[in-house]
Amino acid sequence: MSTSRPVVITGMGAICALGDRGDLIFAALCDGVRPFGPPTTIPADTVPGQVVAEVREFAPERYLRPGNIRPLDRTGRLAVVGVELALADAGWTLERRESEVVGLVVGTMLSGVHTIGEFDRRALRAGPEYASALDFSNSVLNAPAGQVAIWQRLRGINSTIAAGAASGLQALGYALQLVRTGRADVLVAGGVEDVSFESVLGFARANRLAAPGDGGLRGGVPFDATQTGALLGEGAAFLVLEAEETAAARGARTIGRVPGAANGYDPGALTGTGGGEALAATIARALRDAGIPAGGIGAVSASAHGNPDLDRREAAAIEAALGTAVPVTAIKAMTGETLGASGALQTIAALEAMRSGRLPGIAGLAAPDSSIRIDISAATRPLDATRALVTALTPEGNCAALVVTV
Amino acid sequence: MEPRPRVVVTGIGVVTSIGIGVGPFWQALLAGTCGISPVESFDTSRYAQHIGGEVKGFDPAPFLRRLRPESMGRAGQLAIAASRLALEDAGVAPASVEPAAVGVSFGTTSGEPALIERFDDQEIGGARDAIGAEFIERYPCHTIAAHVAAELGFAGPNFVIPTACAAGNYAIAWAADALCAGGADVMLAGGSDCFSRITYTGFARLGAIAPERCQPFDKNRRGMVPGEGAAVLVLERADRAAARGARVYAEMAGYGLTCDANHMTAPQGDGAVRAMRLAMQDAGITPEQVAYISAHGTGTAVNDSVETAAVKQAFGAAAPNVAVSSIKSMLGHTMGAASAIEAAVCALAVHDGAMPPTINYETPDPRCDLDYVPNEARRQPVPVAMNNAYAFGGNNASVIFKASRP
Repeated sequence: MSTSRPVVITGMGAICALGDRGDLIFAALCDGVRPFGPPTTIPADTVPGQVVAEVREFAPERYLRPGNIRPLDRTGRLAVVGVELALADAGWTLERRESEVVGLVVGTMLSGVHTIGEFDRRALRAGPEYASALDFSNSVLNAPAGQVAIWQRLRGINSTIAAGAASGLQALGYALQLVRTGRADVLVAGGVEDVSFESVLGFARANRLAAPGDGGLRGGVPFDATQTGALLGEGAAFLVLEAEETAAARGARTIGRVPGAANGYDPGALTGTGGGEALAATIARALRDAGIPAGGIGAVSASAHGNPDLDRREAAAIEAALGTAVPVTAIKAMTGETLGASGALQTIAALEAMRSGRLPGIAGLAAPDSSIRIDISAATRPLDATRALVTALTPEGNCAALVVTV
Repeated sequence: MEPRPRVVVTGIGVVTSIGIGVGPFWQALLAGTCGISPVESFDTSRYAQHIGGEVKGFDPAPFLRRLRPESMGRAGQLAIAASRLALEDAGVAPASVEPAAVGVSFGTTSGEPALIERFDDQEIGGARDAIGAEFIERYPCHTIAAHVAAELGFAGPNFVIPTACAAGNYAIAWAADALCAGGADVMLAGGSDCFSRITYTGFARLGAIAPERCQPFDKNRRGMVPGEGAAVLVLERADRAAARGARVYAEMAGYGLTCDANHMTAPQGDGAVRAMRLAMQDAGITPEQVAYISAHGTGTAVNDSVETAAVKQAFGAAAPNVAVSSIKSMLGHTMGAASAIEAAVCALAVHDGAMPPTINYETPDPRCDLDYVPNEARRQPVPVAMNNAYAFGGNNASVIFKASRP
C-alpha cells in the first residue's frame, strides 16, 4: 500500500434552497439570493415567524431512476439525490458501480432526527406495538448512508461522520485519507441535513437562531455585528474523490484536487473559553498536509453563519493562519445553516469560484463586525485563485480545514 | 514502498454491566458472568420482554473534573469514564501529553437518545414550552467525542462515526489511520451507547429481543438483548509506545470495511466475507494464523447463521480450527459500544492467551457448526484475533489484532 496518492475531484452534486445544479447554485450565490421564507414541510406554528431555506417542492423521482423511494425519509431522499447528481457528473454509471467498488462517506449532524422522533412519539401515543418497523430501520444515525448505498449500489466503505456543522467537511477529509492511502479508489463524500420540526424547535430553544418575525429575514448574515444567530437551511452536497490513477485510467474529467486536510478540536468550546487558536492550528496543519504555504491560498470559504461570537473566532483563526489579505466568503448568508451538508456546499462554492473567477459576496452584510480584519465583502468580487481553503468551526469545538485546488 | 507505521494498543478502559475497568471486566468475562437483568431505566410493562444489559449503579462523578455530569447525556458520561480508565491503564496522564497530539474517535448507534426521548415526552405531554436548550446542546451524537476531549483537554482530531452496531470498529480503524498519517501521537478510540427506550422499542417491534437470555449460535436461540456500555482503546504508534516503555496489549494489524448495499436490516453475508478478507489482506495474515474470532453473534436466528456461513467462506479449510465466541451472551448487544468492547476483548485475548466463552450454549445448531467456546473460557495462546461487527445499513467491519513483536 503506497502511503500517499494524489486525489482528484471528478464530480460534484448539490441540492439546496438555491437550486439543484452546481452552476445554478453558484449563480444564485453570486447574485446574493437569500431564499428564506416560512417553512412548508413542518408545522407553521413550530416556531412562529421563523424563516428557513428549504428545498421547495422537492421531488426526488425527478432525479432518480424508477424505483421504490418509499423506504427513504426526507434526509435519505436529499442524500440519494445529492449522490446521484455527483455520480452522474463524474460518469460513474450504475453499470460501472456494479462491477467496481465505490464507497460512501456521509456527514450529518442530526441525521433523520424527525424519523427518530416520530418513531418514539408513535410508540408513546399508541403503544410500542404500533411503532413503525420501517421507521426503526431509518432511526439509526447511519440510515442515510445505508439507504443511499442500497439505491446507488455502493459496496465499498460506508461511513457516516458526525461533527456537528463541520460534519460535511470532516467527511471530505476522512475520504481524502482513505483514498490517499489506497484503502479506497473512489469515494462519494459530502453531507446532508434537512429542516425538521425537531431542528427548528431545538435550535430556537437553544437561542441559536436569528430572531423570528420581520427581523428574521435579515438574520443569519455571517460576520455582521448586528446578528443574533443563524437561519437554518437544508440540502445535500457530495463530491466524488478518486485516486488520480483511477480517474486517469477511466479517462475521467478532473474538476479539481484535494491536496490536504486537517481535523482538530477546541477543548475550551464547551466550557466558555473557546477561541480561534484551535481552528488556526487546524488550518496550519491542513496547509502543511497540502504542502502549500499560507501565502499560497487565494480564497477562503468559511462556515460563519451569523453567530457573532463564533464568527469572530473563525475570522480570528483565518487571520492568524493566513493574514488579512485573502478574500473570504461565507455562503451560509445565502444557503442558510445547512449543518451536515454545509462543508461540502462550501467546498463546491470554493471550486466554482476558482473555476469561474468570481467569489460570491456575503449577501446582507450591512454592518461588518469592526473587530474582524479579514477581507470580507457584501458584493460578489472577481477572483484569481487556484488554491482555496475551506473552514468549519462549531459551537461544540469541532475544527475542520480542507484545501482544494483547480 | 514504505510500510506504514505499526499501531499498538497500550491502554483499555471499559464500562460494562459485568465490570468497570479492564481488570474486573476481563475477570468477569472469563468467568462467564451474565450482565443481563430486569430493565430499570424505563417502564417495560407494555412490552413483551423485560430484560436488558444495563450498567446499574454507574456514577459518572468520579470521572469528571472539568465538566458537570448534568451537562451531557449518559453516552458521554460512559465515554468519559472509559476514556479516563483507558488513559490510566496506559499510564498516560492527560496533562503530560501535547493537547493537539491527542485525538478522540468514537462510534455510537444512537448518540444521546435520552435527549430526544425527553423532547418527545414533553411534546406528547403537552409541554412543548418546556423543551429547552439541552436538546440541541446534548442530543447530537458528535457531542460524545466533544465532551471527552473537553473533559480531558485534547485538541487533536475529533469526531464520532455513528455507523450503528459496527461503529466501534469504524472508530478504531480511523484512529489507526490518523496515527499512521501523523495526525496524532495518541488516539482514544472506542464506542459508547446508553440504554434507550427507542432502541428497545425498535428491537421489540422487530420481534428480535430474547425473552430470558441471550444464546448466540444455540439451536434454540430466541434473539438479542439490548445493552449498554463503553470501551476505549489507547492507540499509539509502536515506536512511541516502545520509547516510553509502555505495556503493549496487542498490535492493531489491519482492517476491512464493506457495505452489503442490499438491505437495511437483513445481513447478506457476502459483504461480511469481503470485510474479513480485506482485513486479513491488510494485516498480512492468513486464515490459518487466526486463533480467535470475537463474533458479532447477536443471538438472532438470522445473524448467527449468516455470520457462521460467512466465516466458513472467508476461512475455508481453516474455519474448523478457529475459535469463535460471542460476549453478547453475557453483555447483551451494547450497540455502538459492542465492537469497541469486543476489540478490547481481542486485544486482551492476544495479551493474556485466553478466550471468553459463549455462555448459555446448550444445543448445537446444524447451521452454526463452528467452535463457539461453549460456556467455559479457554486458556490458549492467541497470536492473532479478529473482531467482526455488522450493522444496520449493511455495514461490515473486521479488525485484526495480533501479538506485538518488540
